[in-house]
Amino acid sequence: MRRRHIERRRNDGLIVNSLVDIALSLVIGFMVSMPLFFENGIFVSAPGVAQAGGAVPAGSDIKANIFLANNGRILLNEVPVSEDSLRVLLPRLLDRSVARRVVISNDEQVLYDEVIRVMDMAKQVGANDVAWLRTKTAP
Amino acid sequence: MSLKAAPNLDILPMACVGLILVLVMMMISPMVVTHTRTRVDVPAAHTGQREVQNDVSVVVTQSGQYLFDDEPVATLADVGGRVAAAVASDPYILVVIRADKECYGNQVLDVLATAKRAGAARIVCATKKLTTND
Repeated sequence: MRRRHIERRRNDGLIVNSLVDIALSLVIGFMVSMPLFFENGIFVSAPGVAQAGGAVPAGSDIKANIFLANNGRILLNEVPVSEDSLRVLLPRLLDRSVARRVVISNDEQVLYDEVIRVMDMAKQVGANDVAWLRTKTAP
Repeated sequence: MSLKAAPNLDILPMACVGLILVLVMMMISPMVVTHTRTRVDVPAAHTGQREVQNDVSVVVTQSGQYLFDDEPVATLADVGGRVAAAVASDPYILVVIRADKECYGNQVLDVLATAKRAGAARIVCATKKLTTND
């Protein structure tokens, strides 16, 4: 009877080993899945007001002004560009900038998702600072 | 006699408790660390930064409702008041704007401007990690 009891105790160790394996698997699963649950964020410079069509003030280091229009058009420094060419041209502009700042403004009907997509692209191509400005339409 | 003298640690309950703790931690930690109790479909981006620090969240839902730290707030002016109170307690507090991706950009820009007027120095737009399926 006692011997049987001892054997049962010894077998308990095997169960603990498998439990450790399960625990390790859970921890690994936890580590892998966590980035999917957490949200990230893009730091945005506080907004101001930009005059639509207004020239960049002299002496400013701002080199890249992106305007998102209602009809899906993208203007880079007031020149219409496609999204692909924006991805090519933007790094060239930023290379000439000290602050590497990108200023984004948009029309009223542009979705937030579109703005974030352009911000993300700007960050991807090397923008240090992304400012989001309100466009004040000229009277 | 020798059997009685040998200490026999029963590790099984401890391992079970450990497993349960891991499971509880897995479920609770996303809720504790982030302000994600209010379900908002935030935009996806490649380049988001993750900051785990003292922050307040302003949620803009698809219907245009505002929430400050997951509590509904009636107007944008009220949001400004709540942000100002948070900034008064910590001038470097991070203001996280969690807006639905289907919102208009200007709606979010209004919140940004309000937070700026309320004295927020550090503002971040929440995004989720872009996966290959997105």
